[in-house]
Amino acid sequence: MITQALPTPRISRALIDITPAILLGLVCLVLWEAAIWLFKVEPYVLPAPSAIALVMIEQFPVLAVAALVTAEEILIGFILSAVTGIAVAIIIARFETFGRALYPLIVLFQNVPKVALAPIFILWFGYDLAPKVLLIVVIAFFPVAIGMLSGLQSVDPSLVSLMRSVGAGPGTILKRVRLPHALPQLMAGLKVAVTLSVIGAIVGEFAGASAGLGYLIQFASTQLETALVFAAILFVSVLGLVFYYVVEMAEQYLIPWAPKFADANNR
Amino acid sequence: MASARPVLRPAPAPAQQPAPVHLSAEGVAVDFDLGGHTQRVLNDIHLKVGKGQLVALVGPSGCGKSTLLRLFAGLMKPSLGKMEVAGLAPAEAARRKLIGVAFQDATLLPWKTALDNAAFLLETADPSLARAEVRQRALHNLHLVGLAGSEGKRPSQLSGGMRQRVAIARALTLDPEVLLLDEPFGALDAITREEMGALLLDIWQRTQKTVLLVTHAFDEAVFLASEIHVMGTGPARIIETIASDLPYPRDAQTYRDPRFAALEARLRELLVKSHKGAT
Repeated sequence: MITQALPTPRISRALIDITPAILLGLVCLVLWEAAIWLFKVEPYVLPAPSAIALVMIEQFPVLAVAALVTAEEILIGFILSAVTGIAVAIIIARFETFGRALYPLIVLFQNVPKVALAPIFILWFGYDLAPKVLLIVVIAFFPVAIGMLSGLQSVDPSLVSLMRSVGAGPGTILKRVRLPHALPQLMAGLKVAVTLSVIGAIVGEFAGASAGLGYLIQFASTQLETALVFAAILFVSVLGLVFYYVVEMAEQYLIPWAPKFADANNR
Repeated sequence: MASARPVLRPAPAPAQQPAPVHLSAEGVAVDFDLGGHTQRVLNDIHLKVGKGQLVALVGPSGCGKSTLLRLFAGLMKPSLGKMEVAGLAPAEAARRKLIGVAFQDATLLPWKTALDNAAFLLETADPSLARAEVRQRALHNLHLVGLAGSEGKRPSQLSGGMRQRVAIARALTLDPEVLLLDEPFGALDAITREEMGALLLDIWQRTQKTVLLVTHAFDEAVFLASEIHVMGTGPARIIETIASDLPYPRDAQTYRDPRFAALEARLRELLVKSHKGAT
């Protein structure tokens, strides 16, 4: 057949790659369902997958509205974390003396348990968007700053001195060499930050909120609506996954030249 | 690969009357500050390189030969003594684009193509130049180093030898009077290293630039250079200068010349002696 002579298209190959994972997942779901049915587990302790699916359909409008609220917090928080982290890294790299003062303080601050700050932010900024965004920023800016900073500083010193020798100033070197060189490590930091942003949003809502998936999880659990809790958790996970892949797609678009994990494995 | 191109014109005859001095070091010493105490890494260096010469600096690793090259490149300053490149302080010569440098690592920018990498340093050095002209010069030099057809490739798509060619093209694109090469072929395999040696001779004979080559490979130094300065350690200094009696143009036959073997043996002897002196 002609089709056999053609190389396997990318998409169908990706499908073959994930087939075992899908099968194993399905097997687990079936076992879960069977165990609930077999041992007659109370639904408020652990609902069956089918019950969770049913709740997801029935309560879809509630879940969707909550997901939108949380997604907004994650998006704004993540963008501000990225901006803060990048700015902090550039300031530390560019202004050496100030950087030496700033860096230890940031490391010190990183060791404060950020989650514990949530009640204070609620106290200061109320129950709306602001305290969640602030919590996300204090949690998620650090990996961005560290990734960006090590990217900015790991440029070959020979190349830097070569540029300096033909008259390039620190600003030119930053713009033309350090910034593009830092992109792969910045993207690695952003990927960590985006998952932390999801955690930050949920924790922020736990501490005090009137809407969002975290709020829904807490509210439903007090009502012993465990199936709704699971449905909301699933929505949070999918939300996190979507954000993560958006960042990963941005990475492939921004730095097509960077060596990829998959390439390294194929060699 | 186009490295083994026929030589188009003979090299400048090894000077009967000495060529005007192009690189000079007089009484140069370098101390490194090791927090509290200083260590002298170069001591009382006197060196003169004539215009248009290809001179090698050989020595064991850690003998300060790369430091000496960085001094000539204006990348660092001597603690003592006086250095000149084309009659100027090295840093000033570098600013006027009289010096092209290549290191053992090609130090290319991974996000730029071979052509953009070759153009990059000139672009930085002289932002007023028209982009088209910079690219034209970079293209010309990429062809000169035998990379016609690879202009659009990124460093990750090039072999080690090809990356090194881009680095040399980048240095040549500045159109410097002096080329300073710090073990440029040190990380390459033996065959590629010989190819690159032939390429360097070819470029030198076409462009008539003054070349200072730092290397620890005796055969490379003997094959390429008209004059070889041998450095020793502890304290780092020049222990001997050997004028090569091998005629240019040189090619694969040169390796079989009895004078080649004699020079290589002499170098080996000197370096073994200096090494023993150090330990």
